[in-house]
Amino acid sequence: MNHTAVEEKIPVEKQAGEVAKDQRSFIETLRRTGDVVTVDREVHWDLELGAISRRATEMDGPAIVFKNITDYPGQSIFVNPISTWRRAAVTLGLPAHAKISEIYAEYIRKDTNAIPPVEVKDAVCRDVIVRGKDVDVTNLATPMIHAGDGGRYLGTWCIVVSKDPDTGWMNWGTYRFMIHNTQYLSGWPFPPSHCGTILQQKYVPQNKPMPLAIIMGADQSSHLAATSTTRIGRDEASLAGGLAGRPIEIARCLDSDLTFPACAEVVLEGEILPDQIAHEGPYGEYPGYRSGEMGAGILMKVNTIAHRKNPTLSMDCTGFKDCSSIVAALGGGVGIQRTLERAGVPVTGVYVPSEGAVHLCVVGVSKGGREVTEKVLHALTGRRTYMTKILVCDDDIDIFNLNEVIHAWATRCHSERGIIIKHVEGSAQALTPAYSQEERARRAGASAAFDVTFPPEWDRLETPVRATFDKMFPEEVQKKVLDNWKSYGL
Amino acid sequence: MEYQTHARHMNDIQENKTLALTIRDLSPGKHKYTARVARVQLSRSLEALAKWDKLWVHSVVGIKDPQPWGMKIVEELGITVPGKPYSDIYEVLAKM
Repeated sequence: MNHTAVEEKIPVEKQAGEVAKDQRSFIETLRRTGDVVTVDREVHWDLELGAISRRATEMDGPAIVFKNITDYPGQSIFVNPISTWRRAAVTLGLPAHAKISEIYAEYIRKDTNAIPPVEVKDAVCRDVIVRGKDVDVTNLATPMIHAGDGGRYLGTWCIVVSKDPDTGWMNWGTYRFMIHNTQYLSGWPFPPSHCGTILQQKYVPQNKPMPLAIIMGADQSSHLAATSTTRIGRDEASLAGGLAGRPIEIARCLDSDLTFPACAEVVLEGEILPDQIAHEGPYGEYPGYRSGEMGAGILMKVNTIAHRKNPTLSMDCTGFKDCSSIVAALGGGVGIQRTLERAGVPVTGVYVPSEGAVHLCVVGVSKGGREVTEKVLHALTGRRTYMTKILVCDDDIDIFNLNEVIHAWATRCHSERGIIIKHVEGSAQALTPAYSQEERARRAGASAAFDVTFPPEWDRLETPVRATFDKMFPEEVQKKVLDNWKSYGL
Repeated sequence: MEYQTHARHMNDIQENKTLALTIRDLSPGKHKYTARVARVQLSRSLEALAKWDKLWVHSVVGIKDPQPWGMKIVEELGITVPGKPYSDIYEVLAKM
């Protein structure tokens, strides 16, 4: 299946359809576009399901609904909801074949039109409610995804809800959580993440447990919002409404005032303990490696589980080209663009290609040069340093076309004065495979910015011109050739 | 019974001393991979491998040592251990 762009004659925004209101209707939409397969034969949760899903991911294959899981009759798992650009397009209500640039444009359009949520009394997940001593998280179909992982990861494509007790800000994020024992999950929200920051600043010093909810199987607008790179204080539920084009219905937890998408299939409620820990990790993660980050996580005691009668859990089969790569490319890319705009960078666009596993970012600028490249590097190495390779390109390059980007990088970046490296301490992503175990422990690392622009002080009349069809020929010649293309027998 | 654990350094797993470890139960079924903390004695003697439980050790990146250890549980230490979020569980276990 070709997941890249095909030419559109009608502007995509005029074709945008309705955004699916919940996970089940999203699956039906994918069925119509040919982007989901249902597996009816029995599949074991212990590695077989993960192996199928991983191979499908690497083949740019469809999403999968596993309907018959060993030990878990009646439960299903929906795997890789948004691990391709086609499914990202469908998530936003676009045709599945929309171009990447059009998907970005639609995301930006929706991102700027946030719609606050509306609270409802009932949530569909309350067909079955299990509380207190009866809680056993192993009753939820949870795969052992990769051989050698620390345990069974239940939180992969999930919305983790936490709250700042001082400001009241509710954070929706996506963080990994694994089963430790029947009533405990251990997790690893990156310590400088919003959830990690709230926990460490607002609860641990007071030795107070932090209420937490983990949501699976919600509408994809809410999942997409939870994965977005937003500033502290921004309401992800409103962003989800913007992405959906209508208010998201939210419901309140049974044990706390946390709120979550009311259409969710499964909700786990509990608290992060301020004084107890358990082993967490390692785990095959979105950079495409199992890098060895383990043993320094957080512990959730699960007090309540609520789910639909025959729930469909959600899962990201993490690794190379997983959902994280696509959603980080989208929400993260737009977040980076906003950051650069605030920093005064003349940014024209940002692309985080999924092949770069959230380590590589391409920034288009209307005016380049070393000074601008340094400004970009500084802006992207603040609280979190996820991007370890940053390519700053002139805006005559289509940043969404990796062929053009690689060509420009290879030819315009001066190997001596075009590379700027910044060392970071305390903000590096510990999952970056290139870092040593010791660097990971310190969250130390580096980011390199590549100035892929011609110096702005160069005389335009003496600046090299690309030897390409669109740059080397007069417009009338281009038009004539294009009009007659088929007649040449090409 | 068979169990598994993950070691930060494979050399930390040694004979002739007791160790506090997070061990995961490998018995088939829904509760496979559930964990608890125990003080254990390890040995690769033929007798221990024949008579004691088996422990499979994985490295920090999840690579499995193909040779198991014989493991005897000396003391059950509970499901969780004291510590602040994000603190290093290996340092805590080393002091138990």
